[in-house]
Amino acid sequence: MTLYKNLTISQKQIVWAWCFLAVPAVFYVTIRFYPTANAILVSFQDWNLLGTRTWTGIDNYVKLFNDPVFWKVFKNTFLYLIIGTPVSLIIAFIVAYQIDKVRFMHGTIRALYFIPFMTSAVAMAWVWRWFYQPVPVGVFNNFLATLAIPQIEFLNSTTNALPSILAPAIWAGLGFQIIIFMAGLRSIPQTYYEAARIDGVSPMATLWEITLPLLKPTIVFLVVFSSIGFLRIFDQVFNMTTNNPGGPLNSTKPLVLMIYDTAFNGFDMGYAAAQTVVLFLVLLVVSLLQLRILRDR
Amino acid sequence: MATVSIKNLVKSYGKTEVLHGINLDVADGEFVVLVGPSGCGKSTTLRMIAGLEDITSGEIHIGGELVNHREPKERNIAMVFQNYAIYPHMSVRKNIGFGLRTSKASKAEKAARIDEVAELLSMTDLLDRRPNQLSGGQRQRVAIGRAMVRDPSAFLFDEPLSNLDAQLRTQMRLEIKKLHQRVGNTIIFVTHDQVEAMTMADRIVIMKDGHIQQVGTPYDVFHKPTNKFVAQFIGAPSMNMIEGSLADGIVTLEGGLQIPIDTSSTHRGPVTLGLRPDDLLVSSQDGQFEGQVNVLEPLGSETLVYVSVAGKELIAKASGRTPPVLGSTIKLNAAPENMHLFDSATGEALQ
Repeated sequence: MTLYKNLTISQKQIVWAWCFLAVPAVFYVTIRFYPTANAILVSFQDWNLLGTRTWTGIDNYVKLFNDPVFWKVFKNTFLYLIIGTPVSLIIAFIVAYQIDKVRFMHGTIRALYFIPFMTSAVAMAWVWRWFYQPVPVGVFNNFLATLAIPQIEFLNSTTNALPSILAPAIWAGLGFQIIIFMAGLRSIPQTYYEAARIDGVSPMATLWEITLPLLKPTIVFLVVFSSIGFLRIFDQVFNMTTNNPGGPLNSTKPLVLMIYDTAFNGFDMGYAAAQTVVLFLVLLVVSLLQLRILRDR
Repeated sequence: MATVSIKNLVKSYGKTEVLHGINLDVADGEFVVLVGPSGCGKSTTLRMIAGLEDITSGEIHIGGELVNHREPKERNIAMVFQNYAIYPHMSVRKNIGFGLRTSKASKAEKAARIDEVAELLSMTDLLDRRPNQLSGGQRQRVAIGRAMVRDPSAFLFDEPLSNLDAQLRTQMRLEIKKLHQRVGNTIIFVTHDQVEAMTMADRIVIMKDGHIQQVGTPYDVFHKPTNKFVAQFIGAPSMNMIEGSLADGIVTLEGGLQIPIDTSSTHRGPVTLGLRPDDLLVSSQDGQFEGQVNVLEPLGSETLVYVSVAGKELIAKASGRTPPVLGSTIKLNAAPENMHLFDSATGEALQ
């Protein structure tokens, strides 16, 4: 106790800071860093979850590189990212931009858009799966039938399945993105728009020259955030294709689902770990690239 | 350049009327300042002239043309905002040039115009900077530059100096006045600071609760206020107001004190006697008022003296070098021609 008393005020503050920091630090080390390091280690080993680990060097990575399914899955994952992120951001911006101008039932409309974000992804995936069924069950095909348009195989076609699964994923994230966009729009001072009106700048030019540049921090945040979300897509795919996860013919399988499959159906932990390391590197590279490209110069 | 004329201007938000029929004529090249306490409608009036607020009823003419239903850009006015409204993501050059986007001039002409304005505001070396690299006063100048670049017929200023510190405010006040003398455009300037109004205006419009109280030159509003509000609003410290009653050229104050007054008014009954602290001087011999010094506020060149006279505290001015002693009893004197009389019931000035 005397030891503590003899410390200066700033030293005491450091002691206290570390006391509080110890809890999350221990948590992160045991729950995050240790498993991460272990996963990287396992990716160089052969392990079936029960037996002994045997050292295999880079065999898992070589196998991954030569696996056609991996490249298919890799392509799928990037399709989710490349279609999902821009489409969701554009829709979210348009909706936020319009809601921002609406005074009538503003709160209710905003809440309606936010509800999907709070709904369980599993429940939502099953509802959408039901929407996609053929006549007489599926809502979409019923609607098409009344217009005398031929049936569309939403989930059973290798070309339609991926966009069909992406649609509810985009819809689910929309509420969050809209709220963030609206907060960004609200933070732009009204006088900027008034000054533009006095200068006679057209609404389109105002949008491109004032609104979007001033929204840049919001856009950067949402691009990085939603990219990570789409790269890690799993719930929607798994639940909408339960009888053949990632099907048909791996056409909807994302990297996370492949990892899950390899680890808990194939019990090839080393191979799954190698895939995880690849996913980690992809997430890291994509995020850093986006931050660099969109950085404020 | 143009005249601005406002006729019976009314503004209502729902059922609440905030402007009650304003009439004002601004001559070509005139510098008019709208001044008043918060909520008096001065900014609303300005925003209606700019076209940023709808007109409930009445007419606004700019350059002789009715502009009630014109978009802001078609009114050929420019506005400087309190927070400057300069875009943080654009250089100073782009900010100033932003108003020229819609103009049909060639690129070279636009660039020349931007340089000319920058030269006029002596900020040529700042053109390539970003707003976050500028001081408050420089940002203010960019905002003025953006307004000037289109050569509008009238400038509207909405409390542009409120965000500056006291010293910079004094400096920018002078710069804006000099600029007006050089370019000679019509200016309508809104402020809540009566010192700004007095120092800059050709004519001052004093507003309160959506009504114009008085329109006049700085001399008029200071020396011939039309009512008690104007008398107390203009001038710092505020005019002393003493209740009394008038009969036959003599005001009898509440304490029984009788003050002969220089008036031609035949009004009889309750009046308010107004005395500016500048006109109420400490006297060594005779004085109309006598009282004890409560507080002294030294200002350097002069000292404000708070004196209690017959239960009321009056503010007087004394010399800065030889102020009266705190707690002492002093005599105060005011010349009859410097006294103001107001009808206590209506608040209107009596001649």
